[in-house]
Parts: sequence; C-alpha cells; structure tokens
Amino acid sequence: MKKLLCVCLVLLARPLAAAPDPQWTLVRSTLTYHVSHPLHQMEGVSHAARGKGVCTAGECDVLVAVPLPSFNAGDTNRDLHMLQAARGATFPMVTVRTKVPESGAASGTIHVDLEVEFAGQTAHYKQVRFEVTTSGDETRITGTIPATLSDFKIDPPSLLTMPIENQIPVTVELTWKKNQ
Amino acid sequence: MHSRPWKTISTVLVAALCLIDVPAARAQTQGGGVAGTVTGPSGATVANATVVVKNLATSQVVTTTTNSAGAYSVPNLPAGEYEVSVSAEDLEAKAVKVTVAAAGAQALDVVLVARPLPAPSLSDLGFSPQQLTGSPEEQARLDHRTHMLKIHQRLGLFTTAPLAATVVAGLFAGGRQESRTGRNVHAALGAVTAGMYLTSASFAIFAPKVKGAKSSGPTRVHKMLAWVHGTGMVLTPLLGAMAYHQLSQGQRVHGIASYHGAVGVVTLSAYAAAIMSVSIKF
Repeated sequence: MKKLLCVCLVLLARPLAAAPDPQWTLVRSTLTYHVSHPLHQMEGVSHAARGKGVCTAGECDVLVAVPLPSFNAGDTNRDLHMLQAARGATFPMVTVRTKVPESGAASGTIHVDLEVEFAGQTAHYKQVRFEVTTSGDETRITGTIPATLSDFKIDPPSLLTMPIENQIPVTVELTWKKNQ
Repeated sequence: MHSRPWKTISTVLVAALCLIDVPAARAQTQGGGVAGTVTGPSGATVANATVVVKNLATSQVVTTTTNSAGAYSVPNLPAGEYEVSVSAEDLEAKAVKVTVAAAGAQALDVVLVARPLPAPSLSDLGFSPQQLTGSPEEQARLDHRTHMLKIHQRLGLFTTAPLAATVVAGLFAGGRQESRTGRNVHAALGAVTAGMYLTSASFAIFAPKVKGAKSSGPTRVHKMLAWVHGTGMVLTPLLGAMAYHQLSQGQRVHGIASYHGAVGVVTLSAYAAAIMSVSIKF
C-alpha cells in the first residue's frame, strides 16, 4: 500500500516538475499620453506596443516597448513636434520594465514599481496601481503611469508661446496571453 | 637459503614502503565513495552531466561525468565532508554537501531544474532594426524644423498687429474725400504687413520636410487656409496699388481695383482662421 502511494505521488509530482516557466505575450495594447495646454487638452494614442513577460520562481520579469513615432495625436505637426521634443529620432523606443508577482495575474489590483526609459532618460515610478481582469486565457491590465516631462529632462513644448503642463500621464491598457 | 644481497634489498624495500605518502595509501585502501543518478526537470536521466566531488577539508577534487543512464560513481574517497557539484547543459547547476563514511558508497541522487530564462530584452519583441536604431541626423533635421516653425509661429502672431492696423487704416483711405495721408498710412502699414507675412511664410515653406509625413488634422486645415491668405497677401497689395493710383488721379476706384477691400477682408479672415485652426481644438 505504501509502495503504491509513493508511486502515485511520484506520478503526480512529475508533471508539476516538468512544467516550464510560463511566459506572457502582449497581444493587444492601447497607450495614450495626455497633454494639457492652457488652450486645450491633447492626447496621442499608440497601439503598436509589444511586450513579453518571463516568470521564474513566482515572479515575472515584464518588458513592454513602444516605438515613439507610432503615437498619433491626430495632427502631423503635433506628432512631429512631440517626436522632436522627446528626442524621438535619437531614442525611438519607449520601454517599461517591471517585476510582477505571478499570483498578481489573478488579483484585482496590483501595485508595481516601474522603470521607464524614454527620451534617453530612465525614470522610476514606485507602487503604480494597475487593475487586472482575467477573461478566458487573456489578462487585461489597465492603469496610469504618472509621467512628467521633467522626469525625462524634456523642455515643455509651447504653442503660441504658452508651454504645456509638466504632467503627461500615460494611460495603459494591455492585454496579455499566457503561453506555456 | 637467502643470500646477504637479497636480505639487503628486502630491507631497503621495506624502508621505502614506510616512506610512501600515508594518506594516499589510505585512499587506495579505504572503501568510501559517492554514487547516484542525475535527473532533469522532466524526471528523465541526464547523460554527460559533469559531477565534481570536492573534499571540503583538503580541497582535493575528483571529476567525473554521468553515463548514458545518468549514473555516476566516485569510489575510493577518504571519509569526510564533501561538496558534490553537478552541472549540465541548459540546466541550473546544483551543489550538495554530503558526508562520506569510511566504508560503503554514499547514495546521492541529484535533480537538476531548468535554468531560469533570462529577463526579456528588446531583441525578443520582434521590432525591426530600423525601429530600434536612432538617427542623430534625423533628430538634427527635426530640431531644425521645429526651430524654423517656432519663428514662423511667432512672426505670424506678430504680423496680426500690423495686419489689423492696416485694415483699420483702410477705413480712412478708401474714398476720394479721404486724405492722401490716410492712404499713405494704409499703404505703409500694408507694406509692413506683407513684409512680415512673407518672412513668416518663408520659415514655414523652407522648414525641412520629414520623409513620409503627410499633413493631417488641424495642420492640414492650416495649410489649406494658407493657400487662401497667401494668395490674398499677394493680390491685396497689387489691387491696393491700383486703387491708390486711381484715387491719386482723382478717379473713383474702378475695375478689379474695387475688389481690394473685399480681398483684404477675405485675406484677414483666412489668416485669423489659420491661426485659430492650430490654437483651438475644435
């Protein structure tokens, strides 16, 4: 009887041990930056982000990157001006790195530390709140990165000699899929 | 029976045996060791894994590899504390401490786990090299473009002052009864406006173009309106000069010169609309 129990335990444990570290792939994304000017509000949207998450020992290393030229504010000059101000031709990618507990994929709210590389500068944001919703095999993460121009040493662009505000919050909507 | 030389040789041999390194002799004679099987994360045995057995007291090392069945054996070890390190391709290396007894092989099976995947990098995301590579030349072009458009914007704003003054002065320069001074002031203001306007326009026209960038949104409207006020800015002074000449001759303004005022108003309206198109979100 004891022998049988041992065999059963070994058989059950094997598939668990054999399971490789899970990986996550970003399947859909909407990133929106918001800009405030005394005359009006503007926003630029990109759906071109790509991302990957690699999990080891219950923690996932996550990388999301988006080409800066992919943001569309609905106006050519505005996009090119943003690209110039953010040194986008020299540093064409915006990257966000974070570590997420693997268990976070199931919970409703997570707080994570972010490392954002943008305009040739790196800024860190502590305990940024994100909402997590899981539907089928997809996990959707939404939240706002409280970015500012000064974090990345960007001179505020101006329109009609009036500069935009320092805050440029970035709204993030990311849909991930787990692939074993 | 034994001769004396043989006795001497025997004595020397015995003495030589006594001088042999004692620990080494003991290693050859003692029966301690360590043996076991190496398995991977799936439970399958791992062949050709490197097994390094290190005596923690003497730092002596014995290295072996697992056979096709994943088994290894390191016999003839002196009793003591050992560290057994196992490594294999694509698997996380593992070190285990073990006590080897004076006799008998210490069983030590080792399970290796998969080596953790490295954190993702930009190269994992499938972007093209062009997307990832920066271009200082392109940045310089963008900087130059923005610099010129800022001058265009400021000069364009300043131009609204002489433009408005020209329109106001025009109210006192149109009729035959109006003074020549009124007409001269109007004409002078018009000339200043045209000069500033053309300077401002040149900064927009000659700003570096960005390859592949097509006008969209308010900028497209701004550029379309530029065709209207640009044409007006050329026509208005020409028609004004004709009207000026006719009035100076004591004639009523007639012919196409009579459209000078109307063209001026359309030009002013298009100009104001062009500024508003990029200033206010509709």
